[in-house]
Amino acid sequence: MLLIEADGKALFAEAGIRVPVGRLVREPALPADLGPGPFIVKAQLPAGGRGKAGLVRCCATQGDVAAALPALLGATHKGHPVAACLIEEPAAGTEQYLALMTDAASYGVRLIYHPQGGVDVEAAGTLAGTLCAPDPAAIDAAIAATIPDPMVAETARALGRLLLERELTLAEINPLFVGPEVCVAGDAKVVIDLNALPRQPRLAALIAARPDAYADAARKLASGFDYVEIDPGGSIGLLTTGAGLSMMLIDELVARGARPLNFCDIRTSMLRGSPARIVAALRWMTARPSLRVVLVNIFAGITDLGEFAALLADAIAQSPGLRVPVVARLVGRGAEAARQVLAERAPDVAVEDDLPAALARVAAAVAA
Amino acid sequence: MIAQLSRATPVLVQGIAGRMGRAHAALMRAYGTNIVAGVAARGDVAGVAARGEVAGVAARGDTAQIAGIPVFADCAAAVAATGAVASVALTPPAETLAAARDAFAAGIRLLVTVAEGVPVHDALCIGQAARAAGAVWVGASTPGLAIPGELKLGFLPDVALRPGPLGVMSKSGTLSYEVGWRLARAGLGQSLWVGVGGDPVKGVRFADLLPTFLADARTRAIVLVGEIGGTEEEDCAAAYAALGAAKPLFALIAGREAKEGVAMGHAGALVHGSSGTLAEKTRRLEAAGAFVFSTIEALVQRCVADFGVQTGG
Repeated sequence: MLLIEADGKALFAEAGIRVPVGRLVREPALPADLGPGPFIVKAQLPAGGRGKAGLVRCCATQGDVAAALPALLGATHKGHPVAACLIEEPAAGTEQYLALMTDAASYGVRLIYHPQGGVDVEAAGTLAGTLCAPDPAAIDAAIAATIPDPMVAETARALGRLLLERELTLAEINPLFVGPEVCVAGDAKVVIDLNALPRQPRLAALIAARPDAYADAARKLASGFDYVEIDPGGSIGLLTTGAGLSMMLIDELVARGARPLNFCDIRTSMLRGSPARIVAALRWMTARPSLRVVLVNIFAGITDLGEFAALLADAIAQSPGLRVPVVARLVGRGAEAARQVLAERAPDVAVEDDLPAALARVAAAVAA
Repeated sequence: MIAQLSRATPVLVQGIAGRMGRAHAALMRAYGTNIVAGVAARGDVAGVAARGEVAGVAARGDTAQIAGIPVFADCAAAVAATGAVASVALTPPAETLAAARDAFAAGIRLLVTVAEGVPVHDALCIGQAARAAGAVWVGASTPGLAIPGELKLGFLPDVALRPGPLGVMSKSGTLSYEVGWRLARAGLGQSLWVGVGGDPVKGVRFADLLPTFLADARTRAIVLVGEIGGTEEEDCAAAYAALGAAKPLFALIAGREAKEGVAMGHAGALVHGSSGTLAEKTRRLEAAGAFVFSTIEALVQRCVADFGVQTGG
């Protein structure tokens, strides 16, 4: 998961990498003790392309900052609301590019350094870089062979240790401002591994501290499953298991002109006899007034659908806020038992075993 | 190693005393897999026996048994006693690295790790250990692999398995179940089905499987079920073109509408910037001569049109 810039820079600073003097604001009012400027005001959200979207503003004066903050706060970019802005003093120097990332093909680390940085090299995948083993000595050797400037090399070594110690998958500085005496990280793109969080309390604390910026990850940590809101104005709530099938369902619905509200991988094998996950997903869906229908799609390889149907009926009974139709497409082990359970305990649920038939019912419910 | 698998291949199950381990060892054996041994800590086996959770748990002399399968303290002992060459690790994510090291040290040639949630930096270590041992690693975060009618390693659902002409490889479990099930209903089965898993750092990748599918006489076409994130589809496209596109490659890629910066369920399904997007994967695959479909139904219909009649189910 991508961190917002301010959190990436907090990790950089802890690792000994210099970052610009800045402050994070969440309100549009100008901070009382702000200096004379100039400043750079940057919207904080976990997605790229902020510069091109006008979410990074160069402000010569306090007045410019006062105008920029209300425009940026509350904006939405690639599905992420802007809940905070970073107000920074501009750094000076030549702009360079520096990144370290895990490399899936070599089971190692890729170091990418380019003496010309800036937004044009954001397609980092097009830069080959240097591969090395994922240990400090190998990374230092790769840096020594790649980066002649001792100041930049020192920054790279700190970045490498951060990558290993925090189990990051990407740590990118673009641009890295290289001046005559210091180099400063102008931006921070840090991708963390949510699977490592149980042994990375510092990263877990970052996410817990910003439930608005990391709503999807915070939900996952609290609930144990994935629920990602795709379209807050969506009409179709998805109660699904399996990441790939859930993604494909969203793609096919959007291609038909429908508006799915969310992605969901509830992981039926982890329900362990409790409807809690289903209740939580239904609560998040029904919180959106645009919801018109809930589509349950479970392909049960191992899960017993009869048991799942009983939990679904429990969850529906425990969800007084659920006032829209539920279509359940259930296929696999125990499908017939599931039909019986739902017919008895939740007779309003429309059960299908064919996905196209279920989607037709969903379309009819949205149109009604 | 994958190509040489058969009903005769001796297989061990790591983590056999756990809930998943007991259940899937029995299901794999019921499918026909030659499960010869289990590995579990002695305390775990005793716990299963004491709680009376399954019939047939017994500790006789030095060798405990779970449902008639002899259970050993580590892979080295299991391999020495049974000659197992493949292993399915049904261990929790935090214990998967240790299980992999145990397996490779014992000379296991093929390891399937099913756990979802293995940390990326652990996966780097597992990958390095597999390479150093010259072994094949499938996973993590995978339902495993199967040669329908012969064996399965993991828990691909029987309802979707059917012998046939399609070589299937998939990042997602559930999306491949849906595709496989619809194809099987239409009479089209699989020659070999490998779930490579949804993690960003993994064992066998799409491109690694191409030579196996191209060399396998039973495989007449390849079905690739991919998703956004990483560069596996792009790397596969390059390998496919380099190998001469000798058999048709049909691809389905999920995640067109995914939210940037957020992992979509699978740790590997993460797009940031222009890296890992569906558009780029589609472009590269099509340029290499593959056919990329935007719906499950379109892929199924094309497979049936090209291979359905000739095989006749």
